[in-house]
Amino acid sequence: LSARIQKNSLAHLLAAILLLAVVCCFLSCSRSSNAPQTEKSATREVVDEAGRRLRVPTRVERIVSLAPNLTEIVYAVGAGERLVGDTEYCNFPAEATHVAKVGDTLHPSVERIIALRPQVVLVSTASQLESFTKELAEHQITVYVTDPHDLEGVFQSVRNLGELCGETTTAEDLIKKLRARTSAVEKAVGSAKVVRVFYQLSDRPLYTAGRESFTTDLIRRAGGVSVTADVPGAWPRYSDESALASQPEAIILPTGGSMSSGNGAAADPFKKSPAVLAGRVYKINEDHLNRPGPRLVDGLEELAHVLHPESFKQ
Amino acid sequence: MTASIVASQTYAASLKGTRATLRRTLFWCGVLLLLLVAAVLLTALVGSESLPAKESLCALLSGGRATCGLTAEQSAILFEIRLPRILLAAAVGASLASAGAGYQSLLRNPLAEPYLLGISNGAAVGTMVALVFFGSVEWSRPVMAFAGALLASLAVYQLARGRAGASPERMILAGVIVTTFLSSAIVFITTMMDATRVRSFTFWLLGDLSGATSRLLVVAIIVAIAGSLLLTAFARPLNLLMLGERDAFDLGVEVGRVRIVVFLVAGMLVGTSVASSGSVGYVGLVVPHLVRLSLGSDNRITIPAAGLSGALFVVVADTLARTVIAPRELPVGAITALIGAPLFIYLLRRG
Repeated sequence: LSARIQKNSLAHLLAAILLLAVVCCFLSCSRSSNAPQTEKSATREVVDEAGRRLRVPTRVERIVSLAPNLTEIVYAVGAGERLVGDTEYCNFPAEATHVAKVGDTLHPSVERIIALRPQVVLVSTASQLESFTKELAEHQITVYVTDPHDLEGVFQSVRNLGELCGETTTAEDLIKKLRARTSAVEKAVGSAKVVRVFYQLSDRPLYTAGRESFTTDLIRRAGGVSVTADVPGAWPRYSDESALASQPEAIILPTGGSMSSGNGAAADPFKKSPAVLAGRVYKINEDHLNRPGPRLVDGLEELAHVLHPESFKQ
Repeated sequence: MTASIVASQTYAASLKGTRATLRRTLFWCGVLLLLLVAAVLLTALVGSESLPAKESLCALLSGGRATCGLTAEQSAILFEIRLPRILLAAAVGASLASAGAGYQSLLRNPLAEPYLLGISNGAAVGTMVALVFFGSVEWSRPVMAFAGALLASLAVYQLARGRAGASPERMILAGVIVTTFLSSAIVFITTMMDATRVRSFTFWLLGDLSGATSRLLVVAIIVAIAGSLLLTAFARPLNLLMLGERDAFDLGVEVGRVRIVVFLVAGMLVGTSVASSGSVGYVGLVVPHLVRLSLGSDNRITIPAAGLSGALFVVVADTLARTVIAPRELPVGAITALIGAPLFIYLLRRG
């Protein structure tokens, strides 16, 4: 019973937060709609990462993000206050948790998105695109798709979203800093022996990072090589016996972040792998590794440190 | 009493003599058992990693005592991953097919199948509830799956029961209702869970034989063998039940007791296989049908033969699931449905 009361009060709290968010949004709307009313018809053309030509307002004022990595990019390029809606997974930066929630990445509420009157909706892959775009297009809302497959692609996403928000300078500064950190890592591990890595996205069933995943590129830059680098797909379901045969020297467990419970240990087929025998199983905050946003470079640094601790000794 | 014995004897006589039936059962079950053993040995030789065939076969036939020149890694693949999975496939196939044959006789409905009647979904909801509430207690999963399967089958039975007994059409409609209701329950539970677990659940729901622990495997094998044998022991009353509950009762069958036992045993078979591998569809439908087409509809032969053929079917289907897009994997339920659905349409059209 107490659990139900707790759930109830939690629901009330959520409702209150939502209400508050909606009120805030209305307040901010009325504030912003006073000034740029004259520019309403002024639009420009952009091309998103799926190659679609889109018309967006000259100055984008109202953005909904449907993925945590995109929310992080929007904040990082300095357009965070223009975010009017994001997902339940969007927990970084802390301000993002106070933005109106439109559901999770897989099941956003189209109704709620429309009610937030965004000018652009940011989507992280081409999945579900069709059903979204149709409904949103009827309400003059543009869907912008990002689709990075490597770290360079993530930088490109930062640049693109910077341009979309009219924050080109901030975006370029950010990319410069991220590039500097990336090349520092690459330089540090450059001469070290390449480590064979298995990236365990989840243990049961066994999922890993495949050919199309940015993780494969990240592991390479951190001085490793993913044993599943040639497996088709971004996040393939991997065979147990191939896992056993892959004999990785290190196993990475993305865990402890917003998405998972579990994935706390190397899967059974690895119990006699060099990685487990040598104690080279590393947990890394999944939000740094699985979100193709600015913090992916944090993930890169953490990855490089566990794969090549000797390269970072001072 | 005497009248019922006479009546059942006349019925049995119409099927053939008891001894002849026994001989025929033993013959066909022997043949199927040999085929199953051959299939287990052969499918153990293929997988996403290639192993030397001769050496692997030698190691398999020695029961793992001789290495036959396999490396430690190769024998680990063979004995710790492939063989347990193949044995689980056999146990799941045997459970689902013999349970299907049991339901079909009990409910006098050729379409009665754990998956189509929502019984697998009941077991799935039970398993999910066990995972959500007692995640760390492993044995809670088969127990809750059993409870779910039992509840779902009783719900279908009660829904389908009219004044004139349960007609096949009513049964299927009741099954559709229970299935959709439980599917919504599954969707509801998965929506409440976090994304990583949702991904593993969607794979498991379609039937996934890779996840079972060795303890669950042992339970699944014991339940498969014991359950199929128990159902076979009830083959004679089930034969009489096919004449209709009323007639069976007149012939001396304790209808109520038989019904309870078959529901319990079949629920246990479905529950354990769902808890260990998710919902593998169509096995309980297609396999008993094929067996009946080729060996006739005497349950004394249908039930054990369906069990063995079901094992054979799922072993082959899972071999496809783990090899066609290797090193990636497909859920085995996708394969059984791909084979099963067209085959079933063909059977329906043949009448």
